[in-house]
Amino acid sequence: MRARAVIGSVVASAAVLVAGWQAGATVDAATVASGHAPGSRVGAEPRGTATASPASPTGVASPGAGVALPSPGSSAPGGGGTTGRPAGGAAAAPAPVAPPAPAGAVDGVYTGDLVDTVYGTVQVRVAISGGRITDVVPLKLTDKGSESARYSREAAPILRSEVLSNQSASFTSMSGATYTSGGYLSSVQSALDQAGF
Amino acid sequence: MRNTFTTMGTVASLEVPREHMALVADVRELFERSESRFSLYRDDSELSLIASGRATLAESSAELRDAYASALEWRSLTGGSFTPHRPDGVIDLNGLVKARAIAESGALLQAGGCLDFTINVGGDILTGGMAPRAVPWRTGITDPAHAGDRNAAPLCSFPMSVHRAIATSGSAERGDHIWLTRSESAPEFVQVSVLADDIETADVLATAIIAAGYDFLSRATANWDIDVLTVDRAGELLVTPGLGGMLRTAA
Amino acid sequence: MTLTDRVPGLALEKRRARFARRSLASDVLITCLWASGAVAVALYLSSGSVGRTSSAAEIITTVGAICGLVGCNYILVMLVLAARIPLLDRTIGHEQAIAVHRTMGKPALYLLLAHAALLLTGYGMSAGVNPIAEIIPMLSIPDMPLAFIALGLMITVVVTSLVAVRRRFSYEAWHLIHLLSYVAVAFAIPHQLSVGGVLADSTWQRYYWIALYVIAFGTIAVFRFVVPVVSSVRHGITVAAISPVAPGVTSMFLRGRGLSALNAVGGQFFVWRFLTRKTWWHSHPITLSALPTDTVARITVRGLGDGSSRVLNVPVGTRVMIEGPYGLFTSATRIAPKVAFVAAGIGVTPIRAMLEQGEFGPGEATVLLRASQPDEAYLWDEIEQLATRRGAACYSLVGPRASGANSWMSVGDAQRGVTIESILPDLANTDLYLCGPGGWLDSISAAARAAGVPRHQIHSERFDW
Repeated sequence: MRARAVIGSVVASAAVLVAGWQAGATVDAATVASGHAPGSRVGAEPRGTATASPASPTGVASPGAGVALPSPGSSAPGGGGTTGRPAGGAAAAPAPVAPPAPAGAVDGVYTGDLVDTVYGTVQVRVAISGGRITDVVPLKLTDKGSESARYSREAAPILRSEVLSNQSASFTSMSGATYTSGGYLSSVQSALDQAGF
Repeated sequence: MRNTFTTMGTVASLEVPREHMALVADVRELFERSESRFSLYRDDSELSLIASGRATLAESSAELRDAYASALEWRSLTGGSFTPHRPDGVIDLNGLVKARAIAESGALLQAGGCLDFTINVGGDILTGGMAPRAVPWRTGITDPAHAGDRNAAPLCSFPMSVHRAIATSGSAERGDHIWLTRSESAPEFVQVSVLADDIETADVLATAIIAAGYDFLSRATANWDIDVLTVDRAGELLVTPGLGGMLRTAA
Repeated sequence: MTLTDRVPGLALEKRRARFARRSLASDVLITCLWASGAVAVALYLSSGSVGRTSSAAEIITTVGAICGLVGCNYILVMLVLAARIPLLDRTIGHEQAIAVHRTMGKPALYLLLAHAALLLTGYGMSAGVNPIAEIIPMLSIPDMPLAFIALGLMITVVVTSLVAVRRRFSYEAWHLIHLLSYVAVAFAIPHQLSVGGVLADSTWQRYYWIALYVIAFGTIAVFRFVVPVVSSVRHGITVAAISPVAPGVTSMFLRGRGLSALNAVGGQFFVWRFLTRKTWWHSHPITLSALPTDTVARITVRGLGDGSSRVLNVPVGTRVMIEGPYGLFTSATRIAPKVAFVAAGIGVTPIRAMLEQGEFGPGEATVLLRASQPDEAYLWDEIEQLATRRGAACYSLVGPRASGANSWMSVGDAQRGVTIESILPDLANTDLYLCGPGGWLDSISAAARAAGVPRHQIHSERFDW
């Protein structure tokens, strides 16, 4: 091979590898910065596909790639929800996998990686016992720091005095905890209804 | 014109313009059909038959399966905070069915040409368009401290100009569709009101926030286009910026 | 006469520029080839999980996954190399492309075997079982059984291509097994896209990977199927006449339409497929022995193996499918002011075509013809006529082979003290075009190198029959 080809190949390959490493480091840093421990990769199998089945806990995708939230599109026909990006490996939602953890999974509790889905960043903890998945728990997501770039719709405190002082206009209906038909009679809504006739 | 009728164990209040009063009969029939299919208080409803084992899910009607599928989807979306599964294993769709019936009624009214309406079924409200006076429908939220007093002032009131639907869940009411998840400790919120563009979303999320508490509140506001007002056990309020802005200015 | 003919230096300038462009292109291709492997590794690195790798099991699975990515990347490269893409042919030549393809076979397979072995080991370690026991649970994951089958097929393909094994098969049987490599690649795709986190949904890594497949299969579909079919329909080639040239050597004339649109240049070959019931599934690379006119082309074949005899027995009027033209054994690769054409035996065919092309001035070209016996002087009469017309010197070397380093010439020549320098005085400034059997080729190339001819001035085409 000519010298120029050798040098070109070495330089190009090195550049690509460095870029790839950097990209990976950035992904890792983002994971750590958002306050969540990176997922543990110990334990179960290569990531198979997982599907929500109504009555049982969802199958798990394995180490490193995090766990798929039961992907909405897989158990419901149509209906609004688009499939977020499930954890790597659980991509082919329609392929069913039995809820029992892949054989050889060691009992324990595993925390998946942070996974970005349409619905936000998700992290799930999975408990495996006796070779079966016994619990799938979504973890806290109050990552105020990383969400700061988005318009914050966080609920914040408000004083009653700030509210009541401005309520002069009249209103036509009242929303409250569901009243029974008996309870209706003592609800404000019934007063409104009478006034409205 | 206002019309009230009893359905689903509570009372529905309907406000429609005089010329569309004929549509009220259709709305009542819609609720009756829904109740006969889904009510767990009627032994012969389809859902009761399934609960008692006399019928199977596989043989059920498309509407039931559709409702169930929708409930499961919400279960996924809320990470289990909203679930149609009672601890005793019975499938209870009550929480979702009421909202879906309200939504269908709204569609029915709009299809019939009625664009100004308010439907309030047991505290879940859906509005359509502007009031006859070209002013948005204005709604109040009950003050849980004064529940049961029909002359009590509301906690607040505001125009339904940004969101069309509002649903309020209270922990004082242990409706069949609220099952506290994870721990059975006292709920953080005693009342949660959610404003959204459709009543189903508002109802489900209100239920889920009451059940799961502050954790889910954060997630709900981040991932859905809603406004929320919550009341905790101490009577303190939390409100999202959009609604908060409306409440602080004279509106 | 064109400008380049009138100004001698200009032709040389152009040739040097062309050579420089082609070697740059060739280097770029080589760089891309190696870089593609680096990209495959980078796919894994950039998914962010490598930074968290710590235990032995994790390291093993990481390496195993990377082996799979790199191995598959190079398998796709191999497919593209064999796809007969005109760009590759113009840059490095079809023969060179196939040579690289062959060299890559075993390393690529080793990478895939390492992929399987390391992943079985790594996952087995985390689950506490040995690698063999790990196979069963692995098979229960969707798409994995297909992946195992794919690996098995690929092993079969590579093993049957080892020289020692290939000899036991007929060419057709070997080729059929070799085509299984497409099946192997296809079977492996599902597990790449569903198992493992690097190529997950909506990641750029997945899009890149799918793009690789699209490019690889796309080029194969276009250049090995679509283009030949379109070309054959467009030119409508049939066998027009078959005429013997010498014992065992026959010329075949083919009739067609618009053949000049093919832009075939002297020295190039086509891959021919004769559409009779017995022969449609063989293809033969055969060089044109004359420049085609718009309606007639000629090939000259020496009937040796089964394949060539079958070719010569097809009836007149048989429809023919072609692929091509291919080949860098043409004046396009010239860089020196002078040129020498050396042919042995049936190797005269490209030489004869290049002479007819005549891209040289009077006195610039020398022709050397080698035959062991006088009746092996195929087409020499035509060559001599062309040489005279073009002002090229023409010599012959007839007689039994000399021994040792002189085996490329005859005994008589060796005794007379003929050397390559004596025939071609200005060797350093001469492009050598050599065509003939392998052994002879090696001998004369060695002599030329020994006489100081730069490597890139020696162009050879191996004609073993």
